[in-house]
Amino acid sequence: MASAQSSSKNDGKAVADSKQPEQPTEQKTAAALEEDDEFEDFPVDDWSVEDTEAANGGEGTQHLWEESWDDDDTSDDFSAQLKEELKKVESSKRR
Amino acid sequence: MPLLLDFLSSIHRFVLNQNGDELCNWLLIESGVPEIYFRLGRELRTSYLNSDVLEKLVDKCLPEEDNVADGKGSPWPGFNSFIKEYLEYWRDVSFTDIVALHSRISALLISCANALANPTYGNMLLQTSMSISESLSKLVMSLTRQPHLLARIQGDASGDEAGERKSIVELAADIIQKIFTSCLTDRSSNRWSQPKGKKVAVYLFANLTLKLLFACDKSRLAVQMFTNLSTSGPALSLYPASQRVTFLYYLGRFNFDHCHYLRAHLSFEEAYRQCPPRFQGHRRRILAYWLPSNLLLGRFPSRALLQRPEARGFAEIFLPICAAVRSGNFVAFHGALAQSRDWLWAKGLYLALLYRLKPLVWRSFTRKTFLLTWQGSENDASKKAASLSLHDLVTTASYVQKLLEGYVPAKPAPRARPPHINHIFMRAVTNSAAESESDSLLAPPPGGPRRLMPAEGLILGNKRPTLDNMEAVVAGLVYSGLLNGFMARQQKRFAVEGTKKYGGNAVAAGWPNPYSGIMDRYKEEYDDSVASYSSGEPVDPPGELDDVPGWVKNP
Repeated sequence: MASAQSSSKNDGKAVADSKQPEQPTEQKTAAALEEDDEFEDFPVDDWSVEDTEAANGGEGTQHLWEESWDDDDTSDDFSAQLKEELKKVESSKRR
Repeated sequence: MPLLLDFLSSIHRFVLNQNGDELCNWLLIESGVPEIYFRLGRELRTSYLNSDVLEKLVDKCLPEEDNVADGKGSPWPGFNSFIKEYLEYWRDVSFTDIVALHSRISALLISCANALANPTYGNMLLQTSMSISESLSKLVMSLTRQPHLLARIQGDASGDEAGERKSIVELAADIIQKIFTSCLTDRSSNRWSQPKGKKVAVYLFANLTLKLLFACDKSRLAVQMFTNLSTSGPALSLYPASQRVTFLYYLGRFNFDHCHYLRAHLSFEEAYRQCPPRFQGHRRRILAYWLPSNLLLGRFPSRALLQRPEARGFAEIFLPICAAVRSGNFVAFHGALAQSRDWLWAKGLYLALLYRLKPLVWRSFTRKTFLLTWQGSENDASKKAASLSLHDLVTTASYVQKLLEGYVPAKPAPRARPPHINHIFMRAVTNSAAESESDSLLAPPPGGPRRLMPAEGLILGNKRPTLDNMEAVVAGLVYSGLLNGFMARQQKRFAVEGTKKYGGNAVAAGWPNPYSGIMDRYKEEYDDSVASYSSGEPVDPPGELDDVPGWVKNP
């Protein structure tokens, strides 16, 4: 039974041939972007904080978000259309 | 010597030495094991078809020790039951009958969990429990993707259990959570000291349960586990980084699924920060939810973020959404979501973004309508309070609703009338169109307006926005902190407040920074709960604003 020791790591092996019969899995057109949704086990158990962006008080993760994104430009197409519509409705009210 | 006796004698040796690693190495259950396990099975089928006889043999080979030296172990009744069950498993297993396999592994894990619960020696079965739990969840995840097999299992559970039938996911999660609880309640160490005994495995089992629940879309079942952790769980920081990051990732997903985007953000932020850049795949999966959490809090990803390797392809998905939110363009918003629908849907993000980002699009849209209609300026001496006419908002919203319904630009100038069409006919045609339509730049598309699903319309499907609708929308935005002002109902206007404070800038005053507005609302809610608690109301202590239930921090 000593040979059992050689298979101590059994992750990755199927519990059984549970895939039979082959089912057409749902089509994943998003496959282009994502291979697999599972959050896999890490290959190592632990690492030092120095390996991460949490080091140096997390400086690395600053400037990742923009809070001020308002758009004051009203010269775009969409704004121009809204403006025209407001004008048209306004003038038809005056008629 | 028969294989079975050889096997039991080795197991006995491992137990006496409390060798959990070897127990786990030997107590294998998956189909891809060495041939010797199948030989063991054949031997059991030949000589031990009677379970009572087998039980006696196990008790004989694994006798309970009377005097156990320090650091040594002894078999215990729960352990022997588990070993008997394990041998029956190899005697009876058929890897081609998945339904039976599922119930066998479930039963085996229950037996293992019972043995693990022994306070003195249970510890040595920790690795084995983990390994069988992993096998069971792999099997369950695979089964949930095979409806014909699932139906057979669920069918089996009918009859006397029909009243309260649990899904196989729930059943498996229940067993693994039992082990989790056994680890959580281990008294070898307290909450704030280096984990010992079974406590070392608290987050391993928590993560395994979470992985199973999320893979099967049952995240709501994790509530009890997070509650237990909040009540008595050990500090997360005492555990290895891989367990911390995995746990925070699932905690973020849980909060995202339950629409608590601040807590989701806090969890993902910490998971991301603690995950080294070399694990790009993991960072990418965290980012796939962290980024939408921030959108829903009113923050956009920066260029620096989108240029990171783990964000590959995210700009194409999220920038069009951000651009639509920024300009308040509902048509572009629906277009941007439709363009990435498959990916967003697969990630479980589509509906959250469709419903929960709408208020931000409305904010930008009302802001744009204000910019286009408000005549006053900073230099305006008239002192007229800045306001937005709800009638104007009906006009712009109706225009957008028509665009969503596929309306096309109305013919600009009437062409010269063909000679065969007379004046009376033209009048008849014009009158048949609704009056309001003729006042718009848009005309119905050939074949009629597109029928919209409820969420595709501005208000509800093809419903045209009315004054009441606009009042409700604006009131909702004010309530959620996205607009600053009040409703002048008589005048049918939204009046901006605090223009002076913003140096006369009515737009900045009425449409504050969305992220700040949303955070202020969270802060107000938190302050309210502090006040209720302080006044002696029977509510839970509120903790800190940035606390996330289930995330145990050092006091």
